[in-house]
Amino acid sequence: MITESILELRNVSASYGAIEVLHDVTINVRKGEVVALLGPNGAGKTTTIKVACGLMRPISGSLHIAAQDVTGVPANALARVGVCTIPEGRGIFPNLYVRDNIIMAARDRAGIGIIEERSYARFPILKERRDQLAGTLSGGQQQMLSLARGLATDPVVLMLDEMSMGLAPLVVAELYEQVTAIAESGVSVLVVEQFARTVLGVADSAVVLSHGHVRYVGPADALDDETLSRAYLGS
Amino acid sequence: MNEGRVEEFTREIAALKTSGAKGDTEKRLLALGSLLMIAGVVLAVIGGVQVAGTTNAADQMAAIATGGLLGLVLAVVGAALFLRYSIGRFMRFWAIRLIHEHRSETDRVIAGK
Repeated sequence: MITESILELRNVSASYGAIEVLHDVTINVRKGEVVALLGPNGAGKTTTIKVACGLMRPISGSLHIAAQDVTGVPANALARVGVCTIPEGRGIFPNLYVRDNIIMAARDRAGIGIIEERSYARFPILKERRDQLAGTLSGGQQQMLSLARGLATDPVVLMLDEMSMGLAPLVVAELYEQVTAIAESGVSVLVVEQFARTVLGVADSAVVLSHGHVRYVGPADALDDETLSRAYLGS
Repeated sequence: MNEGRVEEFTREIAALKTSGAKGDTEKRLLALGSLLMIAGVVLAVIGGVQVAGTTNAADQMAAIATGGLLGLVLAVVGAALFLRYSIGRFMRFWAIRLIHEHRSETDRVIAGK
């Protein structure tokens, strides 16, 4: 039976060696929901994503996906079933063609043509550039390619790390329109973003992290400037 | 995304094998190293006492084998584990301290301009 919660971190603590960087973090992402994970540099946002996608095992607490405890399941196993992570820096293959980048991520090999068409319908510019090396695309186009490649895996959970980094505001707005459309199709989205205002416009809920502690959990539109400032600048 | 995909996802997730949170493996191996070192020394002492307590050459050889050799092996393995994990921890703290000092130095230089 499908429960409402698709991705849940329960009281997760994580460390790099002896240094604990996440303390008792609880995050819940429901089906078709966009959750913004905000916080300053070093708050533990990327570490949270690493735990959520199975790249890092927590020292305590648990990771639940579709109401199943999947703590300790490796990232490749989670990715194979539909937990997609798009890392900071896009993670595309610059020496492969745009088309190859998309089809190599296809979950269902039989449907490569359909996946390509779906990707190009969402990002028409990629169709024009499909026979171009991915490394020669602009930053925004590379980010579109990484999104298209993520969607080619037919994900149920999508995690995006610092999607807007180094991109022009217009491109970022276009990308976030796509994120909204992806969530409306039923995919649960967890977005890590340093630029809070960019993502709060599209997110349903927000989680604010500071020094590895959760400072706010709640509706994105109820997150006030004071809470944000305290998280970013200290009290 | 249709409901079928979500159901398939839930089925596949349920089929995954979990291994739980990892705990602090480093701390456990450090403790294991200490225990092995102590056990090795204790075995060597017991072996030595047994060798001194008998004039039978066969019993003495057996005591040397268990006490001396096994004890030595345990102590060496224990010491290796202990050094590996205590030094690893120390080096990490040292690296953090260096980074912190470097940042403070940079801040002082910037403030002095």
